[in-house]
Amino acid sequence: MVDTLSQMLNFLNKVSEYTREAISAGNYLLQGLSVTFDHMRRRPVTVQYPYEKLIPSERYRGRIHYEFDKCIACEVCVRVCPINLPVVDWVMNKETKKKELRNYSIDFGVCIFCGNCVEYCPTNCLSMTEEYELATFDRHSLNYDNVALGRLPTSVTTDPSVQPLRELAYLPKGAMDPHEINPAEARAGKLTSEIVDWMKNNSNQNSTKNKTKDSDKQGD
Amino acid sequence: MPILMNTGIDIELSFNNALQGLGFSKSFAHMLWLPLPMLVVLTAALIGVLATVWLERKISAAAQQRVGPEYAGALGLLQPMADGLKLLVKEDIIPAKADKVLFTLGPILVVIPVVLSWLIVPFGQNLLISNVGIGIFLWIALSSIQPIGLLMSGYASNNKYSLLGGLRAAAQSISYEIPLALSVLAVVMMSNSLSTIDIVNQQNGAGIFSWNIWRQPIGFIIFWICALAECERLPFDLPEAEEELVAGYQTEYAGMKFALFYLGSYINLVLSALLVSILYLGGWGFPVPVEWIASLFKQSIDQAFIQVITASIGIVMTILKTYLLVFLAILLRWTTPRVRIDQLLDLGWKFLLPISLVNLLFTAALKLSFPIAFGG
Repeated sequence: MVDTLSQMLNFLNKVSEYTREAISAGNYLLQGLSVTFDHMRRRPVTVQYPYEKLIPSERYRGRIHYEFDKCIACEVCVRVCPINLPVVDWVMNKETKKKELRNYSIDFGVCIFCGNCVEYCPTNCLSMTEEYELATFDRHSLNYDNVALGRLPTSVTTDPSVQPLRELAYLPKGAMDPHEINPAEARAGKLTSEIVDWMKNNSNQNSTKNKTKDSDKQGD
Repeated sequence: MPILMNTGIDIELSFNNALQGLGFSKSFAHMLWLPLPMLVVLTAALIGVLATVWLERKISAAAQQRVGPEYAGALGLLQPMADGLKLLVKEDIIPAKADKVLFTLGPILVVIPVVLSWLIVPFGQNLLISNVGIGIFLWIALSSIQPIGLLMSGYASNNKYSLLGGLRAAAQSISYEIPLALSVLAVVMMSNSLSTIDIVNQQNGAGIFSWNIWRQPIGFIIFWICALAECERLPFDLPEAEEELVAGYQTEYAGMKFALFYLGSYINLVLSALLVSILYLGGWGFPVPVEWIASLFKQSIDQAFIQVITASIGIVMTILKTYLLVFLAILLRWTTPRVRIDQLLDLGWKFLLPISLVNLLFTAALKLSFPIAFGG
């Protein structure tokens, strides 16, 4: 009698446990559904390339620009390059005892855009551009000579066929969608130039303070 | 009650009367009438599928913070048309070592029962092709033809992924058919009829409060889970699980044969949503009975003007409920992960089957003890 009763209780316990599990599973499912539902009212993050393009950040490392006239053919760029990529074609002019530069080329099919050459160039003849659309039909046309390297890219902001969009970090405070901002509105936080100005002012104040202290000391 | 049940617009009768008035014989009028509702329902089903495909793509995109189809027509409305057109002009490939007859027969066997099931879907009192006495049973019987077609195409493709997909589809359909039928049986027991019209009429006494979802909450959930499994939608899309089986039984199909599978799956989804709204959400019933509103404005329900409004409200309500359920299915698709095959069979046999049996017995007990509320 007691045995059957305890068996009954055991069975009922199992049933209630089963029910509780089923209900909690349903609860979790509802939580998941609410998350999915909430996502539907969020704005799409889509950028309609090529009609819209994000403005690359000012430190963007795109295709390298090269100024032939500034180059002294020192080959520092070749030495700092991880794979010695730039080809500097120069000859020694024995009369003037100076290097004469004939050609300069970088193969962007091999370049990893690390920016070392730009960093170390003593005459600043190399610089990074914001160009990233390098697709060609033939990989050999990625080998840019000094003429191709000297071309300036079309800026996203000046291209009339493109709607430029600011990246998330460049949006005004609180804005999430680059489509809806006022273009005159500045980004959140301070610009680099503003920070530099602020630092200059601060250091001036500090130095004036120190000077007054020094004069005080001298007075004593 | 029987007199009230026969109210509503009877287009068939008026059509026949009009033709007979023009001097045609009764049988000729009937012959002219017959293809009309079929064409209308077929068109409705196809438009429903196009709308569902568009909704699926747009809602999926919204759930993933994308835009979705945008350029084909306003808001990408023509995208499903463009998809269909593309499939129509694609080459019809039959693999060299496939069984040609079975390979062709497979998709046909999948689509025909689904389309045929629209026979019993009512959009109003007299707005259905045929008020078959065994209505809902016909649907259950027809839907069990589908796994044969799936198995056939899986086997005929001569491809291991297709075969696995076909086998999974068959196993899934067979295991979920039983709890589905049992939960339908509980509803049928309450309405004392297999006819879809009677099932809806039995729910329309007091508007939203008399819908079956309040009397059959467990049955509703079981039916919805089983319907999703029958439609092979996530979380139960293992027969075509693309990460494991390429595309399951559809792997070797291209062009119009693939389009038939695609069409079949979406018609089936809309059909399942329609049947859920018929069985549990009061079909064409407005949350407040139209009779009450009519009497509030002191209008007779038999007036032609009121009749037209009632019929339109009925159609709109059916479609609204259906698409709410389709929306839920799409939301579930992006919420739930796919179950494993053993979990699928576990859920079907060890959870849904016993619960639906208990639900059936419980409904029987309630019917005996409270015949007023549970259809004596």
